[in-house]
Amino acid sequence: MSSEHAHEDAPPLTEEIAPGTAADPAVGGTERATVTVDGTPVTVEAGATLLDAVEAVDTDEYVPALCSYDRQEIGPRSECRTCMVETEAEGIVPACSHPAEDGMSVSTDAEAAAQARDVNLDLVLSNHNLRCTTCGKNGRCELQDASIEQEVEEPRYGVLDERDEYEPLDDTSSFIQIDRNKCILCNRCVEACNDVQVEGVLRMEGSGQDTRIGFQSDAETMEDSTCVSCGHCATVCPTGSLVEKGIEDATTIPIPGFTQKNSVGKAIESSGETKGPMTPKKRDTDRREDPDAAASTPNAPSADDVATDGWAGFEGGEWP
Amino acid sequence: MTSIIAADGTTIRISGTGPPSDLLAVARESDVRAVAVGSTGVPALEPLVTVTNGGETAVHTDCSTAELDTVVASVSGGSDIRAAEPDAVVEHDPGTATLPPVDLPGLDVGRRRVLGAAGWRRPTDAADHEAAGGFDAPETTAVLDAGADLRGRGWGDLCQDEPLAPTWETTRDADGDPTVVVNAHGNPTDALLLASAPFDVLEGATAAAEAVGADGVIVYASTADERAVETVRAAAANYPDPPVAIDVVTGPAEHRAAEPTMALEAIEGNHRLEARIRPPGPESVGLHGQPTLVHTPRTLANLAVALREGEADTRTVTVEGDVAAPATVELAASDTLSTAVDAVDVDGEFKAACVGGRFGGLTADLDVAVGPAALSAADLGTEGVVQVLADDRCVLEFVGQRTQFAADENCGRCVPCREGTTQLAELLRDIYDGTYAPADIRELVRVMDGSSICAFGVEAGRPARTAVAEFEAELQAHADGDCPTDSCPQPAEVT
Ligand code: SF4
Ligand code: SF4
Ligand code: SF4
Ligand code: FES
Repeated sequence: MSSEHAHEDAPPLTEEIAPGTAADPAVGGTERATVTVDGTPVTVEAGATLLDAVEAVDTDEYVPALCSYDRQEIGPRSECRTCMVETEAEGIVPACSHPAEDGMSVSTDAEAAAQARDVNLDLVLSNHNLRCTTCGKNGRCELQDASIEQEVEEPRYGVLDERDEYEPLDDTSSFIQIDRNKCILCNRCVEACNDVQVEGVLRMEGSGQDTRIGFQSDAETMEDSTCVSCGHCATVCPTGSLVEKGIEDATTIPIPGFTQKNSVGKAIESSGETKGPMTPKKRDTDRREDPDAAASTPNAPSADDVATDGWAGFEGGEWP
Repeated sequence: MTSIIAADGTTIRISGTGPPSDLLAVARESDVRAVAVGSTGVPALEPLVTVTNGGETAVHTDCSTAELDTVVASVSGGSDIRAAEPDAVVEHDPGTATLPPVDLPGLDVGRRRVLGAAGWRRPTDAADHEAAGGFDAPETTAVLDAGADLRGRGWGDLCQDEPLAPTWETTRDADGDPTVVVNAHGNPTDALLLASAPFDVLEGATAAAEAVGADGVIVYASTADERAVETVRAAAANYPDPPVAIDVVTGPAEHRAAEPTMALEAIEGNHRLEARIRPPGPESVGLHGQPTLVHTPRTLANLAVALREGEADTRTVTVEGDVAAPATVELAASDTLSTAVDAVDVDGEFKAACVGGRFGGLTADLDVAVGPAALSAADLGTEGVVQVLADDRCVLEFVGQRTQFAADENCGRCVPCREGTTQLAELLRDIYDGTYAPADIRELVRVMDGSSICAFGVEAGRPARTAVAEFEAELQAHADGDCPTDSCPQPAEVT
């Protein structure tokens, strides 16, 4: 945390920022290392990952590495798994978060790695509303770039095409628009907001299919959040999920009557109230002191159930 | 308190999963020594009352207060322990520190080492544990030697199916202050050990702590396992001169909270549980950034018993599912799954078993040894939980529910698990519409297995993968519009 943030209206201290993400270890290699990538030796500095080595050579096969950002201390989130490569010693590993260690040998065209990159990119697309023609990032979207380069023609699992499953656009802020249907959960915005801007506005929340970008204050919308409109989150966002207002339609293809907003069909609009200067709310309950205090016990089996029912504690998902 | 092991006169033990206050009150009306011990692991027989005199023990299963009244009256009247019509009588070494094998289902199989204290020693009484040879602090070299042979038990263990010693070495050599986390979350045997044999677990944990130079042990369990948590807290408080500090904390009951890095997140107090990436793993950068061992109670109790008695390769197995009542037994690694299943009453005809917990592998063949090598070779899981499926249970429905559970309960972090489980559930649903695509299922599961961040995603596809391999005909029948067990909705009803 730098002292330039210690002005009045001070943003929350880093220790109090609750981004909802795991406390990952630092992942770089411990020292300068020479790694062989598809037969070509590459030397990378201490702190490097295998992706640094992969990016330094012309690889046999394309490695999308979609969620990787690796600038400004953001990432690696290592969630998309479209950067899998095969290593001699450890089988397939995510290049973006695997330490580069001396003597490692990596191949990009090994079948298992290529299959994992391909399937995982299709899995990302399966939960993405592919309405590129009405998207403000059309033509400058990293997911588009990766899909084109990977020569995706027909994603195996389709795309998110059911309009009633779409989350409404958050169009409440006069500065940033959120379309969560385009979010790949790369966490860049959360880190940009918390670790770079030290604003503590955004967080990761939920789990499973409900995992989403939300706010650390109890706000439901961008307008009610403690956002100071610095725009950093939109700058780092690889897709059209976070877009600066005013350019949300900038690159859309003008089809009469079809706009970015009605492509999704639902939007939460601004309340129209003018807001005073943003005062970052300090979070209260997020990283709690006493895990006992807030631990939840949904559907916890009681000792009696365990004794009498052979399936106690093994509820399944709803089926079919 | 003095030990009840090899005590003079008659000793009545009352064993069960719940607090035995009614029975204890009855027994204490007489002058016979009566104590509460933990569950044996076979709740179908409990409350279980044993009456021991010298080298002989009479066993009364499912004992009511009225029955106990009779037993107590008989014994305090000076009658032989056999007089009150017990369900079984066993003869044993008068000084035995473990429940002797009894000719009753569940108590007649295997050899109770790790489960030795369960149902025999008072869980929180240090004297009983000491009489069993406990609290004898081992040399560090002996611990390291034991760790070279011993493999971690369960998916909550950092060293699942791997020898402990290499991981310990990493922790010893890492910068920082090591901690040992006892991860008791989510496995029935682990909960049983905390509730019935906590000193064995704590003794193993302190031995591991000394071996890696850790200054603290943190026991972590699900809030749902109240008795286990209470008991281990009491045992920690009674631990004589613990060499390191022992704390007990709980985390949410969710399945994923047992994954070792999510356990660390829960202990640190994160409100949202997701897995951490690795390498480096917790053994070098773990709790609060410090090197951390994460072992299950099963692993640690095995360590403690190995240090006292020498290595003996046993595995605990909990059998549940379509059974009259679940049971936990301890078997030699070379015993087969069928020995474990024989310990319970199957509800109906046996059809298949899901071996290895919630995301175990399906098999109809129980002629597989319970050791990790044989299980892995058969694509079955090593979690030590076997779920029986009776013949009226539909494999597609079972696998579908497990897969949908994975889709609902994953942490949401990585694509192969978060999106993969959802698409896998869809591929299984497609079967009802006539599309059974085994190659697509295999491809997806392979990628989930090979590229997920944590064991949740690695294992989540195993039920589906093994169903495709072992129950192809049943899946195909659904695609042709027929559920062989008539338990699925007809294709037309599926929306
Ligand atoms: S624009 Fe708002 S939400 Fe985005 S980084 Fe800046 S403060 Fe955070
Ligand atoms: S909104 Fe954008 S930057 Fe944030 S997680 Fe989603 S895709 Fe990544
Ligand atoms: S495998 Fe599943 S549970 Fe594990 S990190 Fe990935 S999404 Fe989370
Ligand atoms: S780039 Fe490595 S996991 Fe996304």
